[in-house]
Amino acid sequence: MTVSLFDQFMSPTYLGIPLLALALTLPWIFFPSPTSRWLNNRLLTLQAWFINRFTQQILTPLSLGGHKWALILTSLMVFLITLNILGLLPYTFTPTTQLSLNLALAFPLWLATVLIGLRNQPTAALGHLLPEGTPTPLIPVLVIIETISLLIRPLALGVRLTANLTAGHLLMQLTSTAAFVLLSMMPAVAILTTILLFLLTLLEVAVAMIQAYVFVLLLSLYLQENV
Amino acid sequence: MFLYLSSHSHQTDAMHGLVQASRSLHTSSQSLAPVPPLPEKGGQVRHGLIPEEFFQLLYPKTGVTGPYMLGTGLLVYMLSKEIYVINHETFVAASIATVVIYGIKKFGPSVAAFADKLNEEKVAKAQEVKDLAMTSLTQGIENEKKEQWRVDGRSMLFDAKRNNVAMLLETNYRERLHMVTNEVKRRLDYQIALQDLHRRMEQEHMVNWVEKSVVSSITPQQEKESIAKCIADLKALAKTTQARA
Repeated sequence: MTVSLFDQFMSPTYLGIPLLALALTLPWIFFPSPTSRWLNNRLLTLQAWFINRFTQQILTPLSLGGHKWALILTSLMVFLITLNILGLLPYTFTPTTQLSLNLALAFPLWLATVLIGLRNQPTAALGHLLPEGTPTPLIPVLVIIETISLLIRPLALGVRLTANLTAGHLLMQLTSTAAFVLLSMMPAVAILTTILLFLLTLLEVAVAMIQAYVFVLLLSLYLQENV
Repeated sequence: MFLYLSSHSHQTDAMHGLVQASRSLHTSSQSLAPVPPLPEKGGQVRHGLIPEEFFQLLYPKTGVTGPYMLGTGLLVYMLSKEIYVINHETFVAASIATVVIYGIKKFGPSVAAFADKLNEEKVAKAQEVKDLAMTSLTQGIENEKKEQWRVDGRSMLFDAKRNNVAMLLETNYRERLHMVTNEVKRRLDYQIALQDLHRRMEQEHMVNWVEKSVVSSITPQQEKESIAKCIADLKALAKTTQARA
């Protein structure tokens, strides 16, 4: 079979055994569990600091009812960031390039925010469908538009993450293939391509972290509206 | 990772969670034993990947360059036998490795210093509490010593107070004595003045009575005789004086 650029996005199997579960759970070993000691090593200290800062950052704009979501939002963030960054290594599989995973994360969480809003404060939740200060003739149109915007949100969340990561990985594969092939033919252009690849890698590192953060941030925003 | 129930590595597997109620947690005094201390530094690594112990392992047999030769040999073997195929992923690996190594070299020490600072702040806070307690306790000791020194001098204090009180009493007594004396003297003076007044009045009265009786006892005959005598005496005197002058 021919090796195509999309092989990196195939769900990994080894001798017929699917390895997706391993790909999703092995990143757990990178995070040491908190000890019962008062002073820890650097890794644990930094991890605890990061989690505390992130949780504080995400929960500050949320009201008290939204603080129940602290655990899931922070753990989602750590999960996504780890998967994204680990996927930048060569020959690794990035689960977040799979639309199925991202939609599976986005849909239930988004639906939970909507249902919470409709259950606890239905008037306010429905009121979000009409922005303040709209001229009266535009109201029906705007309600429809806002409803569509609301229903599109989970799709947007999932597809945003998938598209960003897939595009980045694909670009890196393309540029590295180009550099590899050009190395024998036109080494000077190959050097330029390598520089491009290097810059792209920098971008990818940034995108990996930013996209994870944006995912969680948007979820917290949806929660803010509804809680 | 937060759902990981326990991280005590010295506990047996049966202690994880209350699976068997017959063996409960933290009943034996083994759990009260102090936790063994952590090593100061993590394991030493060379080139960020290979533990130092590996180099020490190979040193007796192959010297300093042994592990490097091993590494080079392995790499060349894998490349030549195409166990590791160079393809486009190698470029990706090279570029990611560059980014990672650059990041670690540049930001590694500052991140480590930051983590150390976080720990230092924790220790400093506790140390501050401890130092505060120590200073307040030493202050308390000094205060206590001062109080004891004060207690030693209390006999002198009591003597001085006693003297004070005695002086006050003395002064008070003398004042009252003085007052009493004055009062008695006033009363006696009054009596004296009264007696003087009596005597004077009696004297005046007697004198007036004597005068009156004398004046009234002078009969007119006696009066004429005394006047005639006075005139004769005067004439005699006039004559003598005239003679002298």
